[in-house]
Amino acid sequence: MERVILVRYTEIHLKGLNRPYFEQKLVDNMRSALRGIPSRIDREHGRIYVMDIPDVQFDEAISRLTRVFGIHSVSPALAVDKDWQSVCSTAYMLMDKEIVKNPNFSFKVFARRSDKHYFMNSDGINRELGHLILERYPSVRVDIHKPEVSLSVEIRDRAYLYCEEIPCANGMPVGTAGRATLLISGGIDSPVAGYMMAKRGLILSAVHFYSYPYTSERARDKVVDLTRLLSRYAGPIRLHLVPFTDIQMTIYEQCPSKETTVIMRRLMMKIAQRIAEKEGARALITGEALGQVASQTLESLCVTNDAVTMPVFRPLIGFDKDDIMDLSKKIGTYETSILPYEDCCTVFVPKHPVTKPVLADLRASEAKVDFSEMIERAISDSELLIIK
Amino acid sequence: MIYFDNSATTPVCPEAAGTALRYMTEQFFNPAAAYSPAVSVERDVNAARARLASYLNAEQSELIFTSGGTESNNIALSGTLAMRRGKCRIITSAVEHPSVFEPFAALKAQGYDVVVIGVDKTGCVRMDELSAALTESTGYVSIMHVNNEVGAVNDINSIYHLVHDKSPSAIFHCDGVQAYIKMPAVQCDMYSFSGHKLNAPKGIGGLYVRRGTRFKGGQTGGGQENNLRSGTTNVPSIMALDVSAKLWTDNRTERLENMARVKHRLYNNLSRIRDIKLNGPEISDSVPYILNISFLGVRGEVLLHSLMDKGLLVSTGSACAARSRGKNRILTAMGITGDRQDGAIRFSFGTGNTEAEADAAAQMIEDSLSLLRRFRRR
Repeated sequence: MERVILVRYTEIHLKGLNRPYFEQKLVDNMRSALRGIPSRIDREHGRIYVMDIPDVQFDEAISRLTRVFGIHSVSPALAVDKDWQSVCSTAYMLMDKEIVKNPNFSFKVFARRSDKHYFMNSDGINRELGHLILERYPSVRVDIHKPEVSLSVEIRDRAYLYCEEIPCANGMPVGTAGRATLLISGGIDSPVAGYMMAKRGLILSAVHFYSYPYTSERARDKVVDLTRLLSRYAGPIRLHLVPFTDIQMTIYEQCPSKETTVIMRRLMMKIAQRIAEKEGARALITGEALGQVASQTLESLCVTNDAVTMPVFRPLIGFDKDDIMDLSKKIGTYETSILPYEDCCTVFVPKHPVTKPVLADLRASEAKVDFSEMIERAISDSELLIIK
Repeated sequence: MIYFDNSATTPVCPEAAGTALRYMTEQFFNPAAAYSPAVSVERDVNAARARLASYLNAEQSELIFTSGGTESNNIALSGTLAMRRGKCRIITSAVEHPSVFEPFAALKAQGYDVVVIGVDKTGCVRMDELSAALTESTGYVSIMHVNNEVGAVNDINSIYHLVHDKSPSAIFHCDGVQAYIKMPAVQCDMYSFSGHKLNAPKGIGGLYVRRGTRFKGGQTGGGQENNLRSGTTNVPSIMALDVSAKLWTDNRTERLENMARVKHRLYNNLSRIRDIKLNGPEISDSVPYILNISFLGVRGEVLLHSLMDKGLLVSTGSACAARSRGKNRILTAMGITGDRQDGAIRFSFGTGNTEAEADAAAQMIEDSLSLLRRFRRR
């Protein structure tokens, strides 16, 4: 008998002739997620099996797979020879565990066989095994509509039996949708935005702007930590750390104070787009949510958008802050995001920022200053970290 | 690089490091073992204990080794209260280190009658307030010797007598982490100190417990430290502390005079800068190794980063609180708030600092300020 992990995927089924490509990507991503855990991955009839996992690393393997996009659910299963005796004794073993938790559970047997030469058909297995379980455990009952325990039996090269189905991250395998560049801060929103787009199959690269000495080194480390947490789902991430102090000081001294935030965001977008182009990325991702702050009103977003030509994905645009926080807790970035090394560039944040910027005005203010050299310098002085 | 953050920690002196190495690699024996090399190590530890106790005018048997100031402060309180029945009154000051302040806060939540004594604008405990708070039923009083952020010195001997006159059953504990050896010994029932403020390694410290004090001790186990603090004896660090403490004692006058020169030099240099404020006592009334100054119009944290880039390391407050958000409890208690609190920087001096460094540091500060003060929120 061996413990194996049975992996189910969903949306890939929709892909017609491209399906092998999506499946292969998924298997590749599973392999890199399982790096360091000895295992063998087999693909068979719309299922993926992970085998030969050392017992002590079995739970860790499951927890890593729950974070691989493209997987719908996993089941820890027992694989045995498919002779009837072995099937029954393994079924009893699983039922023994359930009876400890609840002696009066309802159950059903759900059999499938891809081995059509097996001596019993699926319906026969359901009935025969159900009957044997009822005989052996008098306190349980059958409920084929809403069973508390569903015992699955799959007859393939071997017999696979399991009761548990663990929901996973869903989405599409990372790498099947191309590459995009995430503008990441140390806050709650941007890592969640990155998560959501990686979930749709994008490979991420990330850009972070820092304003030393107004932001601390620990704030920078925090961004690296957040990116690392994100990479548990998204795979390796190329993180660009861009020095932004000079630009910020220039904006402060040469632009109208109420416009400083919007101009700053336009310049960040421009720099991010330049880096994205170098990376072969075709879109930008931000954590903006409509109306959250002055720079995220519709008018401000229009003005920010005008700074770039690439599509800007804002997956959180319709989210409430509470929803974003919930998701951030779920993916495990929240605790890091709320660490108190906040950016203290509040000196650059105007007390009364414009909430309905007019594009023509902003363009005019920006045109009064030649930022091009500063932008070049920020890009060339930026630092690249590969986070995995 | 100029290091003006010696109240956070100090470099280990080579003599102490060499001693630690020897007790790690050659005389590495467990002093509790029965063979003669171990007995020899035990003798060394006890000789060190006797010397370190003597700096407090104490006996060898009155000193137990701990992992440092925090542990000493924690077990002084918990080990004293464990010997008393009922929830007595316990008293501390508003400017104590978190390792004193937080345990008091936890005990308050458990129902103890906790009284926190305020300080004057220099950071010294208000004696009238303390006197009024002391009752017959007061069981424990903890007041720090030297404040770690502004260098204010409490009159511990007077406090000791006041406590014992008004609260005969109280134990008086003094947190001496910023004062041990640097300041003259004081009268108290318990005294905490830490090695790494004196050029010894981190992770070693001590607690003086006056003979006859009812004290249950800290962690239990193998019965080391006279059954008051179990755990395998940290021989290398104890021996290193012994060496660095002896160097401090032998050279105390010169070292303190040198630090005073550096401090005054830096202060005089900074006096030419506009909008600065001295926090704590008058320049000559605080300890010679701590100087706290507010630079109005900048945030201390931003100035700190900028100075680091130029090669000057300072702090905005206690390193133990540097990561926590929000207000500075010590400065708030002294009535220092708003801009003046936001712009506070602590300079703390050590054995290697020079007046030339004070000159260079002042120049760096001036340069940083001339840039940073251009940007204020508008």
